[in-house]
Amino acid sequence: MRIVVCVKEVLDPDAVNSFAVAGRLTIGEDGTSLTQSAIPRLMNGYDEQALEAALRLRDAGASGTIAVVSIGADPANILRHAAALGADEITHVAADPADRADRAGLDGHATAALLVAWIRSTGGADLVLCGRQASDDDQGVVPALIGEQLGVPVVTIARALALEAGGDAVRVTRVTPDGDEVVLAPLPAVVTISSELGTPRYPTAARKLQARRAKPAVVTLDALGVAAAAGAPRVRLLRQWVPALHGHCELLAGAPAEAADALVARLIQDGAI
Amino acid sequence: MAKVLVCGWDTQADGLAPGVEETLTLGRKLAAALGAELGLVVLGSAPPDAARVAGRHGASTLETLADPKLAAGGSDARVEALAQLCQAHAPRALLMPQTFDARLVAPRVAGRLGVPIVMNGIDVDVENGALRVTATAYGGDTHALYEIAGDGTALVCVSTTALRAEPAPEPRTPVVEEFPVDLRTVTERIRVLEPAKTEGPRLEEANTIVAGGRGLGAAEHFAWIEQLAEALGGMAGASRPLVDDGWVDASRQVGLTGRITRPALYIAVGISGASQHMAGCSAAKTIVAINRDADAAIFRHARYGIVGDCHEILPELIRAARAHRAGGS
Repeated sequence: MRIVVCVKEVLDPDAVNSFAVAGRLTIGEDGTSLTQSAIPRLMNGYDEQALEAALRLRDAGASGTIAVVSIGADPANILRHAAALGADEITHVAADPADRADRAGLDGHATAALLVAWIRSTGGADLVLCGRQASDDDQGVVPALIGEQLGVPVVTIARALALEAGGDAVRVTRVTPDGDEVVLAPLPAVVTISSELGTPRYPTAARKLQARRAKPAVVTLDALGVAAAAGAPRVRLLRQWVPALHGHCELLAGAPAEAADALVARLIQDGAI
Repeated sequence: MAKVLVCGWDTQADGLAPGVEETLTLGRKLAAALGAELGLVVLGSAPPDAARVAGRHGASTLETLADPKLAAGGSDARVEALAQLCQAHAPRALLMPQTFDARLVAPRVAGRLGVPIVMNGIDVDVENGALRVTATAYGGDTHALYEIAGDGTALVCVSTTALRAEPAPEPRTPVVEEFPVDLRTVTERIRVLEPAKTEGPRLEEANTIVAGGRGLGAAEHFAWIEQLAEALGGMAGASRPLVDDGWVDASRQVGLTGRITRPALYIAVGISGASQHMAGCSAAKTIVAINRDADAAIFRHARYGIVGDCHEILPELIRAARAHRAGGS
């Protein structure tokens, strides 16, 4: 069984949020990127949980390879993290937007096309695991695009998965607005993992040390024969900004009992309760 | 004439699903900018008031896609149906409210047709003939403006919580027709072994929500949230950290990756007001914030606020709410 896990490097969303809450989140001169150099870069949290899902399948007895792949300027750090966690193979598909004259990023279709080309070039995958969305652009379209391009089923927002005895299907528990749903998807399939999977494991110190020497295999677009995917993106980020927030909060002061009574009185007056 | 289509499903017995009217409002704006016709598409049989809603929002057509395979709710049938619809009409844009199912179906349709897609849309416009979509990013900490190249079909999933539905100045009487969808070749590849069971009322439909966050300090303090919710005749919700820590069930999670709610009253206790959380409650008519930190972002969203220790305030608030309910104060 070959499990491919797609991971993306993002700015730490909690740090981004702290800057935003403090009113200190700013956009660079290019009009599109966040400027704070103090914000750490790390593996998208949902992708880390996708890797955790793969590792749990292995813990449950699945044999074979866990291959982690990333596209981006320099994902070596998150790929080494993946190796420390237990990935058997780490690969960087080198499509650095900085190499392009227009510096435009890849859109979802191009990203999916590259990942699909790489998956095919490595003999395919029985299971492709992705985070439900990246915490930077929140788009979450790449997994479905991969599924369509590969012509395989896509199951979204999983909190648990288990391989069927024959190894030809996966049983997935999805977190839906109506509660958990359990579905059976034939393999190969794409499954996206949500935060409800639970906290991912930490690498042991020994593995961390070992992974520091791990070098991701670098695959170029030429090698994949998908130069076309690097063409001008059809969805292009023009501008990014921090939305203004205009509060009009009335603070209710006084001792707890006083403030509580004042609040209930206001809510009654407004017809809110 | 160019077309802008708005698609809805998850139709409820008593009418169109929430979000369809807000999406129609955006669709009308886009159609006007393009000089295009607006149409509403309903997967499955349309509820009785669909034509009236479509007309109120200025749609000139209401198309239904009726096939037993669509009624079953599988995504393979929905993807194929929408792909056929797009191929037949070549609309300039297909907009749909970003429901749980749409998050999967819309990008699959885009993948099948090889057409651009933007999720989390909150506004649409046209500049020099090109479609532009404003979407939220970083859980709402930023907004992003995307331009879509070309003049083919583009898909936009609309995040409708913060949008307001505005009927057209001139209502129309839409032409109602059935789109001849052919799903003979579709066999759902994914089999549902255990369907989701709604246990009790859903946060999405609650009129009053009292939600707790990390500021509660300990799991057992969530009981206060439940007591206050009960005293107000509402439901208890939570921010993601409480769910991640296992204090409460995931069905209680309000936020970008949890429940998107729009209650009349939302009381946030010990919740800092991170954008990811606000994405699930910012549509509330009245937000009340109770937080120890006077600088917490939640106060910028709130109509009323109490700065203080929720351990002291909650018992008093429960008392006051119960007294009101009992006909007192």
